[in-house]
Amino acid sequence: MTEPILEVNDLRVRFGTKRGVAEVVNGISYDLHPGETLAIVGESGSGKSVSVLALMGLLAQPPASVLGSARYRGEELLGMPAKDLRSIRGKRLAMIFQDPMTSLNPVRTVGYQLIEPMALHLNLKGGPARERGLELLELVGIPSPDARFSDYPHQLSGGMRQRVMIAMALACDPDVLIADEATTALDVTTQAQITDLVAELQQRIGMAVIWITHDLGVVASIADRVHVMYGGRFMEQAAVDDLYATPHHPYTEGLLGSLPMPGPDRPERLMTIPGLPPDPVTMPSGCSFAPRCTYADTDRCLQAVPPMELLGNLHSTACFYPLAVAR
Amino acid sequence: MSGSTEFDRLATKPVSRTRETLQALVANRLAVAGLIVLSLLVIVGIFGEVIAPYGINDIDIPNRLTRPSGSHWFGTDELGRDVMSRVLIAARVSLQVGFIAVGFALVVGVPIGLVSGYYRGTIDSVLMRMMDVLFSFPAILLAIAILAVLGPGVGNAMIAIGLVYTPIFARITRGSVLVVSGEVYIRAARSLGAGDRRIIFRHILPNVLAPIIVQTTLSLAFAILSEAALSFLGLGVQPPNPAWGRMLAEGRNFFEQAPWMGIFPGLAILVTVMSFNFVGDGLRDALDPKQKSVIESRGQSV
Repeated sequence: MTEPILEVNDLRVRFGTKRGVAEVVNGISYDLHPGETLAIVGESGSGKSVSVLALMGLLAQPPASVLGSARYRGEELLGMPAKDLRSIRGKRLAMIFQDPMTSLNPVRTVGYQLIEPMALHLNLKGGPARERGLELLELVGIPSPDARFSDYPHQLSGGMRQRVMIAMALACDPDVLIADEATTALDVTTQAQITDLVAELQQRIGMAVIWITHDLGVVASIADRVHVMYGGRFMEQAAVDDLYATPHHPYTEGLLGSLPMPGPDRPERLMTIPGLPPDPVTMPSGCSFAPRCTYADTDRCLQAVPPMELLGNLHSTACFYPLAVAR
Repeated sequence: MSGSTEFDRLATKPVSRTRETLQALVANRLAVAGLIVLSLLVIVGIFGEVIAPYGINDIDIPNRLTRPSGSHWFGTDELGRDVMSRVLIAARVSLQVGFIAVGFALVVGVPIGLVSGYYRGTIDSVLMRMMDVLFSFPAILLAIAILAVLGPGVGNAMIAIGLVYTPIFARITRGSVLVVSGEVYIRAARSLGAGDRRIIFRHILPNVLAPIIVQTTLSLAFAILSEAALSFLGLGVQPPNPAWGRMLAEGRNFFEQAPWMGIFPGLAILVTVMSFNFVGDGLRDALDPKQKSVIESRGQSV
């Protein structure tokens, strides 16, 4: 196997709040290999966005405190001097955000914002920068890029803006693209277009993608591997097909059960998971999912955090009573 | 269909923000009137000596305190000097004090607001408490106190008025920066590798300009008013140079014999200040209808 380009080890993020310390990310570890797509799936508040913002150095500290390690090609990102981090952000690690309506500066033209990362990292200005900008707009499928170049963000639709964001992120040929709920704010047809676009560009450019979403449907179409996140921890990690075929963690089972599926043998009602996600200030001492889990027992699940265990071909889960596993 | 052509126009022809603002401003009649008066005022300020029929210190004792007439439109003062010439030539110093004092407040206040709002924390507390101290004094009282230390004179009056208006700009800027720096596009710019300075000046500043522009126009009016007040008290422009505030003060002693000595410089102050206010209000409506200026609440204490 190739060297991972991104190694995250025991990443922890805490926020000081008035009510106490909120433990939002509680020790997650993963490797990202060149060219692969890793999906991090979880519901709102599971810490998935915070975990990537932390490794990009985009969380204000304080109130956040970030512990653990995140290495890009062996270089530690956490605690890296601001100047060095800036030279990696946008050039090696790029990010696109959830809401294309607010992630472009309203008083700058599309062209200005598109050229900015090139000016910052590639020292590309004037004519050549404009040329590359137009190329990028073409690449992300924006019609008549020449005309759009001098447009302001409010003149574009949400899908177009997200394409512009992607063009900006790709301006310096990054190794890793982090898409933080990049399609959540878009309507379904546009969602599909954007995910297809990213998948296609990934093949062309050969970058790795971390795709953060709460939508398992989106994941199925693009990811190689999936990490299911809950309460700031990974519950299960597997290749995408394995995960859908044989979920080992009760939470994953719940998530999959709540997806509407076509077909004759579909259940009468969609499954729901009772209860609410844990409050990060008062995290349960055991498995963070135990209070909502139908399989949980009072001794082990509520007492100790189950370790991540490898159960099959690159398929591991953090559960004392994994499902569909012969014991 | 007219609806579709309108749509096409909007869709194909991007209207820049500056043009949009100017169009809205031109639609406001009071603002246009204010702009016209201010333009005339600037011309008078530059070419005062050429326009004025007499010199500012052409003493003509036999014709002292004459009422307005064909040869002296605004009458003459107690030394027989032409009031109109003095009013016209005093426009320059009023505008100078206004522009330089507000310029000073802008150059000092806006960066303080940017730094405070962007970095927050200790530096924000320290800077803002300093601004609060300045802000807690009534404007004119603080200006008088500063002039008491620096000594009277036009230059010192500019510094004093500038200092008095600095906290307004710092606060307005900081407030807007707090909002803008929480926006996703600021985080996005940072994720693309932009540094603090670039984010502050290229991304945040253009987004907080609207309230600053409006405040600048309104502050000009108050700065000119403050200069008049200081000159009235003898702390600003020194004799024999004319200033509207000084002329008002001198006219007070002759109010029964020669009311024109006070009325015309008073009118000059009124017209100037109102013009700046009309333009400022027009700009505010054009740029941001929701915003309410700090100076409006403060105006009462001036």
